Amino acid sequence: MKKVRIIALRQDRKRVLEHLQDSALVQVTNSGDKASDGFERLDTTAQLKQFERNAELTEQALKILNKIAPEKKGMLSSFKGRKEIDPDEIGRIAADSAKIIGICQKIVKLDKQRADYAAEQVRIRTSLAQLEPWKKLDIPLNTKDTPTTAVLIGTLPKMYDDTLLSECMARECPELIFEFEILYTSANMTCLVFFTPKKQRELAEKALRTIGFSQPLNPTSRTPQVKMQRQQQKSEEIAQKDEEAKKEIEELVQYRERICETQDYFVLRSEKYAVLANLDQTKHVFVLYGYIPEEDCEELQAICEKAASCVVEFEEADPAEAPVKLKNNRFAQPAQSIVTMYSTPSHEDIDPTPLLAFFFYFFFGMMFSDAGYGLLMILATGLAIKIFKPDKRMYNNLKLFQYCGVATVFWGLVFGSIFGDAPAMFYTMFTGQPITMQELLPWPTLDTQKDALMIMILSIALGLVHILVGMGCKFYVCFKRKEYAKAFFDTGLWMVLLIGAAVLAVGMATNGTVLTIGVVIMIAAAVGLVLTQGREKKGIFGKLIGGVASLYDVTSYISDLLSYSRLLALGLTTGVMAQVFNMLSQLFGTNPIGIIFMILVFVAGHAITIGLNALGSYVHTMRLQYVEMFSKFYEGGGKPFEPFSTKSKYFKTKGSKEE
Amino acid sequence: MYGMFLAILAASIATVFAGIGSAKGVGGAAQTAMGVLSEDSSKFGKMLVLTLLPGTQGLYGFIVGFLILINCGVLGGNLPTAGQGFAFLAASIAIGIGGMISGFAQGKAAVSGITMTAKDEKNFSKAMVSITLVEIYALLAFIVSLLVVISVPGRAI
Repeated sequence: MKKVRIIALRQDRKRVLEHLQDSALVQVTNSGDKASDGFERLDTTAQLKQFERNAELTEQALKILNKIAPEKKGMLSSFKGRKEIDPDEIGRIAADSAKIIGICQKIVKLDKQRADYAAEQVRIRTSLAQLEPWKKLDIPLNTKDTPTTAVLIGTLPKMYDDTLLSECMARECPELIFEFEILYTSANMTCLVFFTPKKQRELAEKALRTIGFSQPLNPTSRTPQVKMQRQQQKSEEIAQKDEEAKKEIEELVQYRERICETQDYFVLRSEKYAVLANLDQTKHVFVLYGYIPEEDCEELQAICEKAASCVVEFEEADPAEAPVKLKNNRFAQPAQSIVTMYSTPSHEDIDPTPLLAFFFYFFFGMMFSDAGYGLLMILATGLAIKIFKPDKRMYNNLKLFQYCGVATVFWGLVFGSIFGDAPAMFYTMFTGQPITMQELLPWPTLDTQKDALMIMILSIALGLVHILVGMGCKFYVCFKRKEYAKAFFDTGLWMVLLIGAAVLAVGMATNGTVLTIGVVIMIAAAVGLVLTQGREKKGIFGKLIGGVASLYDVTSYISDLLSYSRLLALGLTTGVMAQVFNMLSQLFGTNPIGIIFMILVFVAGHAITIGLNALGSYVHTMRLQYVEMFSKFYEGGGKPFEPFSTKSKYFKTKGSKEE
Repeated sequence: MYGMFLAILAASIATVFAGIGSAKGVGGAAQTAMGVLSEDSSKFGKMLVLTLLPGTQGLYGFIVGFLILINCGVLGGNLPTAGQGFAFLAASIAIGIGGMISGFAQGKAAVSGITMTAKDEKNFSKAMVSITLVEIYALLAFIVSLLVVISVPGRAI
């Protein structure tokens, strides 16, 4: 990584920045918190805010459009790369942006209106529900007394009929003269109008109150019938208005693509303005500071000189400060995302991608372990790359699974599994002669079921290699940092001990001499550990205790190694599940119905097996890398290299590079 | 015929108990994941991965159960002796109970992992790895059951 300084005339600023953005070579930084002496910086906060607001507005508008008229997308459209447009088109988009923003504002406003309408409808519905019991009342709810008669309108919290209420009132107040009409009654409510001579009003109120009479909450001066009609009318009007607003939005759907473009345009602008704020400027010149990978220096120089008359200076960057860009060959590059998902390597780490890539593919293959599935993976990812021309990120992900597919085919052939035992099963089914995959395949295979113990030993042996490679990296890193004690004592001795254990294991299976050699190596390493691991403690006693205690770490190595038994477990799971579905598929024999049934079960069953086991294999391979291998040496915590580039969502200009 | 009965009982124990663990684990995780998805459905892929993680126990149980059925002659072959039946039964307990309880535990871990990922998608890989830490114990139980089940038919017990 190098530091770069570009000095150019202010009149060329726009052109230089555009070229930098298209080439995506430089990560822009600045000369410090403040501009250097004699220079000043542009304050672009206001414009930035404006651009971001606009981008947000377009996003909102797009969401509304998608809600009303969902975009027709194929299931596989997420593989698709961004649309390529001509650089000249940006001018057109820019010229249209004000109009499009206007349209977005309109869409958002209409949507807000529709939300208000919806709220109003709810209000009307509640009020209608409240009025419903009063439907039979032909006088307004707030009717006052006549000169001689008191009118009481209200509800009782129980079910009453005419006789029950009369009896009730007579019992409460025998001298009361009254007449009433029950309008509505349900299990816990009775609505009624109550008449009584005006002079007995207080008596009546008291009596009614004792049985729980209450007046309606919002009495109106119109009869409930009229009121309800009005509300319904209003509701219809609002529904119509809502429909109109919806139609209006629907008419704007045609702008969807242009809204997308405009959003990208504002994202690009805001990126450019963010960079602009970092430039040191005078009246006539500007200075841009940044980081650039060493191998891109020449290209940058060429690009800048072509764009304008400028000076490009390079200098060595401080590795502790500089961002880290991973550079890997075609084979390892897809696995980079797995490394960065954990953490970007710091300048003190080595880039673990090539090692990780190999083991990732290898272990994934061993767990997924079926030649048929692997072939499907290779074909599917290959086709997706060919048809959709995906963006770099998606391309790398597809490639990752393609390489995993290759390993899957390899292990599938080793385990003699092609869609489970499908070939053998079909052979038996149509010829009637029983045959196993072992007999069918011309090369020696390992049977995951019968040779499980063997495969478990193989898994742990591969695990030992994996862990030793991780420790080897640690050794290398410590050695490079000149921390020899850490390299030889903390890592080297453990490596020797593990190798000793491996030799011992081989010896147990073969003969005595190898076994003795293993024991000797292990004892030597253990003695070495006891002598060296306590070296930071004080006093001979402390050193010795520290050394002996360190041997306890052996448990963590044992558990790490056992963890690799998942290679067997998941491989076996794939094989057995495939076999089960094969068995189910031939349930109805070779008659026509049986064949149709067989095809259906075969396809569905293997689809389920692929889905479940590909997920399991992916997750568990990742775990083996992160927990078992990375824990041995990898520290991470570096800053990723983020070049000034076009981070647009929908289009890219022709000729622009991606990060 | 006792051998046969014991072997079928063993297959049931392995499949059902490990299945209970996974069902509860995946169920809880799925509930949480749906809560997250109701807010932001674009996280579906990540949520699906985290939800399915406690599902392996059930698979392990099923595989042990299936291998027992294959080895005990239900699907053709020799009938097991009573001793072999007891051996199957003993083996099935490992993945049955180990799978069930680790399924519960992994389900809880998955729920936490899902809420963590919902807050910040960058936490996804950390959540995933942490949840798989539980898996090793189901795996060890599975291996023990498996090694016994595949070696029983060859033994005269």
